[in-house]
Amino acid sequence: MRKLDNLNFYELLEIGFDAAPFEIHHAYKEMHQLYHGDSLATYSFFSKEDREKILIKLEEAYSTLMDDNKRSSYDQLLIEQGILEEGMQYQKSQRKLSLISNAEHPNTNMALIIRNRLKPIVSSNPTIQEILGYDVLSGKDLRKIREELGISLEEIAEMAKVRMVYLQSIEEDRFEKTPPGIFLKSFLKAYAQCMGLDADIVANRYLKRVPH
Amino acid sequence: MGEPTNQHSEVLTSHIWPIGGGKGGTGKSFLTGNIGILLARKGYRTLLIDADLGAPNLHTIIGLPDPATSLSDFLNKRVGTLQETVIEMPVHNLFLISGAKNKLDIANLAHEQKMKILRAVSRLDYDYILFDLGTGTSFNTIDFFTLSDSGIFICTPEPTSIENTYRLIRSVYVRKIRQVLKSDRFRNLSHEAETRNPETIIHNPEYLLDTLKDIDPEEGRSIERVLKSFQFKLVLNQVRKQDNPKIGWLICKIIEKHLDLKIQFIGNVSFDERVHEVVCKREPFIEKYRYSQTTLDLEAVIKCIMNGAEEPVVALQNPIFVQKGLHTQTLSYEET
Repeated sequence: MRKLDNLNFYELLEIGFDAAPFEIHHAYKEMHQLYHGDSLATYSFFSKEDREKILIKLEEAYSTLMDDNKRSSYDQLLIEQGILEEGMQYQKSQRKLSLISNAEHPNTNMALIIRNRLKPIVSSNPTIQEILGYDVLSGKDLRKIREELGISLEEIAEMAKVRMVYLQSIEEDRFEKTPPGIFLKSFLKAYAQCMGLDADIVANRYLKRVPH
Repeated sequence: MGEPTNQHSEVLTSHIWPIGGGKGGTGKSFLTGNIGILLARKGYRTLLIDADLGAPNLHTIIGLPDPATSLSDFLNKRVGTLQETVIEMPVHNLFLISGAKNKLDIANLAHEQKMKILRAVSRLDYDYILFDLGTGTSFNTIDFFTLSDSGIFICTPEPTSIENTYRLIRSVYVRKIRQVLKSDRFRNLSHEAETRNPETIIHNPEYLLDTLKDIDPEEGRSIERVLKSFQFKLVLNQVRKQDNPKIGWLICKIIEKHLDLKIQFIGNVSFDERVHEVVCKREPFIEKYRYSQTTLDLEAVIKCIMNGAEEPVVALQNPIFVQKGLHTQTLSYEET
């Protein structure tokens, strides 16, 4: 297939070298939807053989970049080829996240950066948009949104500084385990913000189901 | 784009936009006519040319039942200049060169005649000149795109229309390479490319450029520059609520990524069943339904045509966020 043969995995998925796993996941999903056989936009553009080649390369890119060890080896290869500069690759340590805004260095607030990257994904994803149209939201709905975004509960816990056990109880609607009143609302808002959602809307719609 | 010339007469350069589509019924004449009226209403002197030589009906779309002159008067030398075939429309600043009185055998124009039209058009003094082109991949249609290096493709969100849009754009691509290389060079190149990939001309004209780059890198780069100089735009017409609002954007992405052509998505235009009613009554749609979603979409499209690189900004169904490059209908307006 023309051109695609020459693209590295990052170019293929149209992501930066420092892309986080949720961004890789989202990019892969978008690309897969674009190139699969039922895609209205591409079904008549490619021959069967070309489409298969693209899909195989996409799978290879995804499985490599989602695996820490494989990604590290692949990045090393790109560094040796002079394509990637040492230090520019994704490092987990970059993602020590804080919701406390740093006014002097706003760009260092990774949670904010991630939220801003997620917002356009939220607004273009039809499943998420459908869920956001509901008057009442369940934990299952929230989990569905999170899964659509390809972001793990661990990442949310890290960003929001909320214990995993509380986030799990929120997603599983186990109200006996969720923290009381004002704390629950505050956790819900932090959870929603981390996914680039409107915190008040999400918290209020979820709380409608919580027994008083 | 400058201000309308009735306010700033020093702006003399016409913006020429061929408008075409791979398939019939996608609304080329409807969009050409209504975009023309909107541009005229904004004060731009706008000329519409019905270049759908085999099946002209732009005059009907904009409500002119019996045009006195037509394009064939110029080609048959009944008049001395193209300007003499221009009809002034009741809408202020709107002008038409009709195809209604064309001879029935005019559908196949010689290359020289197309060049004659384009040369004459380039001497006309209007702000915008819009060509309503015929359907499909005939040379009549393709040459208006290749000779003016610009064009607006109209497509609907249906597989048949999308397939034919790709076919039309690939035909323009091949035709341009053929025009630049001249026939002998092109024949040798296509033979070499077909030897490497038997489906080059049918499915993968992009291999032509790859092959040329291998054989003669400098000429390959030169053709690549020519192809990249095209200013193409895509409008998705007759978009219904259930359609994926990103389709047009995705089509452009695929073309840019795999054909190396620049093409800008300039918006979705909503389906409106009242279009049928106004066409039957031979009235311009936007004159009757000034505040319909379709008219608002057309307004957004001409903003993109005028501003060049500006992407359409449209709201999604859930108004929590707004994103560039997409569209759905969240607004409702009462008709006047």
